[in-house]
Amino acid sequence: MSTTRTPTPPAVSRPPTRRRLTRGAGRAGQYLALACYLVFLGFPLVWLLSTALKSPQELGSINPTWIPEHPTLENFRAAFDTQPLLRSALNSALVATSSAVIAVAIAVPAAYVMVRYRSRIGQAGTVWVLVSQMFPFVLVIIPLFLVLRNLHLINALPGLVVVYVVWNLPFSLWMLRGYVQAVPISLEEAAAMDGASRLRTLTSVVLPLLTPGLVATLMFSFVTAWNEFFFALVLLKSPEKQTMSVILTHFIGAEGVADLGPLAAAALVATLPSLLFFALLQRRLVSGMLAGAVKA
Amino acid sequence: MTLLPSRAKAVPGQGNRGTPPPRTPAQRRRALGLDRGAWFLLLPALIPILVLSVGPLLYAVSLAFTDAQAGRTEPTQFVGLLNFTDLRHDTLFWDSFRIGMVWALCVTTLQFLLALGLALLLNQNLRLRWLARTLALVPWAMPEVVVGVMWRLVYHQDAGILNQTLGQLGIIDSNVDWLTSLSLALPSVIAVGVWAGMPQTTVVLLAGLQNVPVELREAAALDGAGAWRRFATVTWPAIRPVVLAITALNFIWNFNSFGLVYVLTQGGPGGRTRLPMLFAYEEAFKYGQYGYAAAMGLAMVALIAVLLVLFLRRRLKEDAQ
Amino acid sequence: MRAAGRVRATGAALALTLLAVAGCGGGSDEGDGKVTLEFLSLAWQAESVEANKALVEEWNAANPDVRVRYVQGSWDNIHDHLLTSFEGGEAPDIIHNDASDLTDFANGGYLADLTGLLPRELRDDIPEAAWSTTEYDGGDGPGIYGVPFLQEPRVLVVNAELLERSGARVPTPDEPWSWAEFEAASAAMTEDTDGDGDTDTYGVAWSLKEPVTQTVNLALSTGGEVFTREDGKNVIRYDAADSSVAELINRQVHEDGTAAASSLGMSGSDTLPGFYDGRYAMLPLNFSFRQQVAQQAPDGFDWTVLPMPSGGPEHGLAQGVVPQTLSVAEDSDHQQAAADFIAFLTQPEHQVDLALGDWMLPTSQRALAEPALDTEEYGWRTGARIADELRPSPVLGVRGYPEWKDKIATPALQEYYSGGIDLDTLREKLTDDGQRILDRYQR
Repeated sequence: MSTTRTPTPPAVSRPPTRRRLTRGAGRAGQYLALACYLVFLGFPLVWLLSTALKSPQELGSINPTWIPEHPTLENFRAAFDTQPLLRSALNSALVATSSAVIAVAIAVPAAYVMVRYRSRIGQAGTVWVLVSQMFPFVLVIIPLFLVLRNLHLINALPGLVVVYVVWNLPFSLWMLRGYVQAVPISLEEAAAMDGASRLRTLTSVVLPLLTPGLVATLMFSFVTAWNEFFFALVLLKSPEKQTMSVILTHFIGAEGVADLGPLAAAALVATLPSLLFFALLQRRLVSGMLAGAVKA
Repeated sequence: MTLLPSRAKAVPGQGNRGTPPPRTPAQRRRALGLDRGAWFLLLPALIPILVLSVGPLLYAVSLAFTDAQAGRTEPTQFVGLLNFTDLRHDTLFWDSFRIGMVWALCVTTLQFLLALGLALLLNQNLRLRWLARTLALVPWAMPEVVVGVMWRLVYHQDAGILNQTLGQLGIIDSNVDWLTSLSLALPSVIAVGVWAGMPQTTVVLLAGLQNVPVELREAAALDGAGAWRRFATVTWPAIRPVVLAITALNFIWNFNSFGLVYVLTQGGPGGRTRLPMLFAYEEAFKYGQYGYAAAMGLAMVALIAVLLVLFLRRRLKEDAQ
Repeated sequence: MRAAGRVRATGAALALTLLAVAGCGGGSDEGDGKVTLEFLSLAWQAESVEANKALVEEWNAANPDVRVRYVQGSWDNIHDHLLTSFEGGEAPDIIHNDASDLTDFANGGYLADLTGLLPRELRDDIPEAAWSTTEYDGGDGPGIYGVPFLQEPRVLVVNAELLERSGARVPTPDEPWSWAEFEAASAAMTEDTDGDGDTDTYGVAWSLKEPVTQTVNLALSTGGEVFTREDGKNVIRYDAADSSVAELINRQVHEDGTAAASSLGMSGSDTLPGFYDGRYAMLPLNFSFRQQVAQQAPDGFDWTVLPMPSGGPEHGLAQGVVPQTLSVAEDSDHQQAAADFIAFLTQPEHQVDLALGDWMLPTSQRALAEPALDTEEYGWRTGARIADELRPSPVLGVRGYPEWKDKIATPALQEYYSGGIDLDTLREKLTDDGQRILDRYQR
């Protein structure tokens, strides 16, 4: 379904000029409101950029300015010099991408079964989705750690991927269930009549119709994994394996003292990939969410 | 995507209610209603969930009935409900629980109202909409630790841009101590919570709005209905399920979050922003009282579940019909 | 016990299932007789990271059979990191931390007793007061669970121009201010320059975001100690000697107006912009904050480092400190090798490098005497001359201290300093409510 839907002009318009006037005023108001929202939500990006370009002396000033007086790239140099930023960005990208892809890949068939079979597994699944979101994860982390150790998955990126997959599954299932429900069952029945197996029906009939939903779910999983901190801290020990969110805390010292300039520089490096991802996917995300969210 | 077991409507239809539970494995398998192909599709998700989510979860639940502690020197003992009786008398925890409720309710409500406004705007056919949609997601793209440090700078009493801007506009004449005043700290962190959680809500609501049948809205417009009436009679009924779903999830997420507030205030001043999950976290990780912390977790799950059922009871009834 | 067994059994069953599912992976030990040790370092300042890495390289060059791998940790999350590593049996061999975090880890049996593993030379070079910060009755009896190697006193970082203008006597480590003189000097530096009735310059800005350690450690300067041991039990007191500095701070903020109320909720670095701007004349800060001041202060800004005031000749410049430490994990297969590396890292000349890198003081007596630290610049000499008077913080070794701090002391002190409660209420909360928590840990 297209996201660019123009409001159709009313067929009969009475006094056209007045209407256009009020509509014009309404439009201006909308732009104004939107601008306010964007300033509220987007200003940190400007602030991060400005902080990243400031010298330590300017950062200590009591009158902070939006535009650095003496912009410098020193903070970026310091950030890249002291911490393995590129390496960790690569790790993050690797872990986030693979966990998102795997989570979606195994959530699709499961969601399909949950929707198409009237079974208790489906009920149990829904309950589990909620409880797993409710239970404090700090309590789960130690047993989880022990399990992963027995699997030799500590200090290994695959271990982190496995954890993220499991932690992203509830939300993925929750969303994908809705998308699957939106697929007309008659299509599948037709395929089954032609002698297609379950798996074939799923891959050749259902899957193509799910594409927008898949993209949306992928995006959620990716961002969650990209930003996740605690599991990454606990599970990864070697410096060359650590992910971006853990590396960022290395710019914070005792008693919360932050090395602001380099932190801001590194944070920009950490934020931009997600934003780029959003910019590319936002159209599909929205149209993709559509079916799933509404069949709640 | 129902929030609670929606199979309620399916199960009675199959006549399962009232029949005795299946006795043989074969019967049970049939009762679960899955053939081999279905198991094949389900297993890839089921195995990791059982091993890495249900397993640790049950283990953590079992801890609540023991005196498990950090360290190797003390053996763990089964203590029955002792942790729960202790918890009942723990006034500090219940203070913090109250703060958690205020926090979760305020953040969830404000998040929803603001996100709805934004979603309505982003649903219009405006110029540069792709850019607006991307920028609206900025808070989501930033790692939590960065969000915390950044907002600390914004709120900084002497050198924060917030005080500076308000001062220049003449709204305040002396600098406000946003994060350290006993009365302002909680509202200030709530504002950050709303900010940080808006993108997800906006995106979900936006999706919901896109599904409102355009024809209906146009028909209402032709009938001369004003913007508010159009919203109330056409848009709202269409997005209500989405609203309920995302609000319930948001509430759970907000109630369970504490990382952001911890970076901002460490629970201060005077314990005014000490969220219950921070309480449980410190109990487990700082004081090493795993058993007691697990009891806290269970108590919170139970209470939140009750609240959710109350919140969603109408929807549940609709489902059951 | 049966129930405990059941809990364990659940875990074991779980683990078995997993092993069955995943199949067994092989271990990754190097079979060539060489040893690799992991060194979890919390070095934070760029210079300090460099110094640490350089020392690791030097060690590796000299000891091809015992390689040390530098692993970067963060003060921000060290406790969580270590706790989960210990519980999972995956702890690094050599652990950098601070003495206050060691108490519970030593008690839990996670740390190795270093008593027989360290060279005599090192034992003699570090004074007994410092060693006592890491000596606990740990998992298997009393022992040394870490080498204290860096420490930092609190000092006054002062705007030199405002100090001179106030006409106050400039204190030295030999002749420090009394607390009364400090109050007078704060008053003399407090100014309303534009005469609008609002104070423009405050004599002092107490950064009390984390009020507990400061309050307890400074209580030593007036002969207080807050935590005492009676009949082998930890007991909390909050009498006149313990509370006199806290009362002074309260008086400065709420009666005299010579200390800024705004700074009470700030962390140390939060007060710095106001300091450069002349809003605050003196900042009581940890020694290492000098690095930030040196880096950030505007050109031409003249600042100096003074000792904290003294509570009288009988107390000298006493204050409590929590040293940074190096420990060995109990699970390490090569405890002696790990201890050898610690001994290498804490040799006097290496301590000097590490101290300079972190802008802190070494504990080693010989390191303190090194010319590199005996310079007027950035107040190094002032710090080095205070070093003798530093005492172990009374909070060290007290089981239950973290819980007391979070649940009772931090909120109570925050309310007291902001004027919400009076001294009697504060004392009641700290001692009555507080003692109940400590008692739970020492039944």
